[in-house]
Amino acid sequence: MKRVYNLKQEVEKPPRLTGGHRLCAGCGAGVVVAGVLRALNKEDRAVVTNATGCLEVSTFMYPYTAYMDSFIHSAFENSAATCSGVEAAYNALKRRGKVEGTVKFITFGGDGGTYDIGFQSLSGAMERGHDMVYVCYDNEAYMNTGIQRSSSTPRFARTTTSPVGAKNQGKKQEKKDLTDIMVAHNIPYVAQTAPLGNFKDLHTKAYKAIYTEGPCFMNVLSPCPRGWDYPMAKLAEIIKLAVDTCVWPLFEVEEGVWHLSYMPKRKLPVEDFLRPQGRFRHMFEQGNEWMIEAAQAYVDQRWERLLERSGA
Amino acid sequence: MQRVLMKGNEAIAEGAIRAGCRGFFGYPITPSSEIAEYMARKMPTIGGVFVQAESELAAINMVYGGAATGARVMTASSGPGISLKQEGISFLAEGELPCLIVDICRGGPGLGGIQPSQADYFQATRGGGHGDYYIIVLAPSSAQEMMDLTMLGFELADKHRTPVMLMAEGTLGNLIEPVLVRDEVTEFVDKPWAITGCLGRQPNIVNTLHMPVEQLQTRNQHLTEKYQAIRSQEIRSEEFLTEDADLILVAYGIMARIAKKAVMNARSLGIKTGLIRPITLWPYPYGVVNKIAQTCKAMVSIEISTTGQMIEDIKLATAGKVPIHYIGEIARTPNPEEITQQLLVIAAKEGLI
Repeated sequence: MKRVYNLKQEVEKPPRLTGGHRLCAGCGAGVVVAGVLRALNKEDRAVVTNATGCLEVSTFMYPYTAYMDSFIHSAFENSAATCSGVEAAYNALKRRGKVEGTVKFITFGGDGGTYDIGFQSLSGAMERGHDMVYVCYDNEAYMNTGIQRSSSTPRFARTTTSPVGAKNQGKKQEKKDLTDIMVAHNIPYVAQTAPLGNFKDLHTKAYKAIYTEGPCFMNVLSPCPRGWDYPMAKLAEIIKLAVDTCVWPLFEVEEGVWHLSYMPKRKLPVEDFLRPQGRFRHMFEQGNEWMIEAAQAYVDQRWERLLERSGA
Repeated sequence: MQRVLMKGNEAIAEGAIRAGCRGFFGYPITPSSEIAEYMARKMPTIGGVFVQAESELAAINMVYGGAATGARVMTASSGPGISLKQEGISFLAEGELPCLIVDICRGGPGLGGIQPSQADYFQATRGGGHGDYYIIVLAPSSAQEMMDLTMLGFELADKHRTPVMLMAEGTLGNLIEPVLVRDEVTEFVDKPWAITGCLGRQPNIVNTLHMPVEQLQTRNQHLTEKYQAIRSQEIRSEEFLTEDADLILVAYGIMARIAKKAVMNARSLGIKTGLIRPITLWPYPYGVVNKIAQTCKAMVSIEISTTGQMIEDIKLATAGKVPIHYIGEIARTPNPEEITQQLLVIAAKEGLI
């Protein structure tokens, strides 16, 4: 499975998510999906399942599609179940010799459709052991309906349902640790990644997830310029800051073994990640220093735990 | 009373607060999300509770829990979300728990679209979930009525111990109009049945499982009688120029406003036209429609739906007395002139011009 990654070579492959989709400029989702699908071997086909969300309404507005592969969407809460059904039917046909070649099953859901309403069907699909990859593009709120908080929204972040005002200072709760929960499913492969730099981390993890037999899960950070409130051109910068502040560490868990994928040369203070984003603006007002301290303490504690688990 | 410009969805939220609602359980879905957003901002400042659930299923069950304590509570969603809530609504009906459920309709079936629709009529007026039950369904036609019928909805819910649905098209949810902001409700009915901790009294029970045959039959008999009482007391409708009309339009919600203009257009072209506007979609104004069917020559159901759904209630009400026509399509709010053109065709067919 060990392959040498060469970005130039990879981007020369025909794209599986084509341009012309309607995602916003500066949105992470398109980069994530294109990056994951690029990891497919050229000759293999895929069935893409998608939960309701920005990605779905922007890449598959019937009769248009941005996908070169088969695509199926039904509702918001059930993309993993839908994918399970397709995979099960494929297996039945394959057994009877009615389909040829390799078909891979990849599901994309946002954090709303994965952490919240779709969690039950995701958990069920992983436990049953379907040969599929579930990819969460995590933009930390319900962006498609106008930026409402989700269980993935980090503490203190401003959304339309966790507003900032006299009585409220953004979201009160910490972000749900979904990657950890997916590790607890004891599936063959779980990865946390982001479309960073030359996309090597995203690419190699996607390849592993796609070509590992059994259910695999990837949690991919996917910034949203509207919800996070940063200038469109800053996408790559924001991702880099999330990783270098250890707000979003990159790691993988293969057959239960934790492995840290990226050790920042210098761990940056969490405020470097918070400052460029409008959703955290109130944290920099006078008297709110405790919020930044709390955010730093939370990140430090999680990071220490990850270092321990991965033996890094 | 203050007169302010408000979005229909905001008028619902403000009306609910003024009706004493202090518990909102929501989940985002277009085109209803502004209701949750308004509540998220407002509830913490008035000692109320805003909870964003992890799904529509969770939100409706939070309503079940909140309503059982006797508090005025509500949720809001749109077609696909209301479908998910139906299990909870069935339980609320059997538990006889008063609450308000708002449906800002979009097109379906399936994911449909986010354009306006009235195609949730069946799932609203026919119980929607499993079992023998109905819920009261109110259909506002302006931002003002979004507020007023929200307030009425809470009142009827408490009076009859029943879930009430406020159903409006996405157009109305997002329409900005002047609204006279109503005074706060200060008097509420007692709820001796509420689960409030039984210190010093016998325990109260809210239960929806009735395994013995007679017990279930007694329960359903009780509900049937309650629905009969609601039918006799709560039917609301509006009539416009029906006395001498040959051609009667039947429309509700925002379509009723548009139909009213079409009535005037048709009259100026010499077709004696009138309008019935049901305000309660359940209980349906069968009596009014039947009465007018005795004097008119034809009726037209106008809906934002392609198959036509309310038309079935008109057929039930008229029992074959007059021919019933249909004008409607999904995801588009037609303008009065388009309707007038179609009325001309119908009038010619019926020999009215």
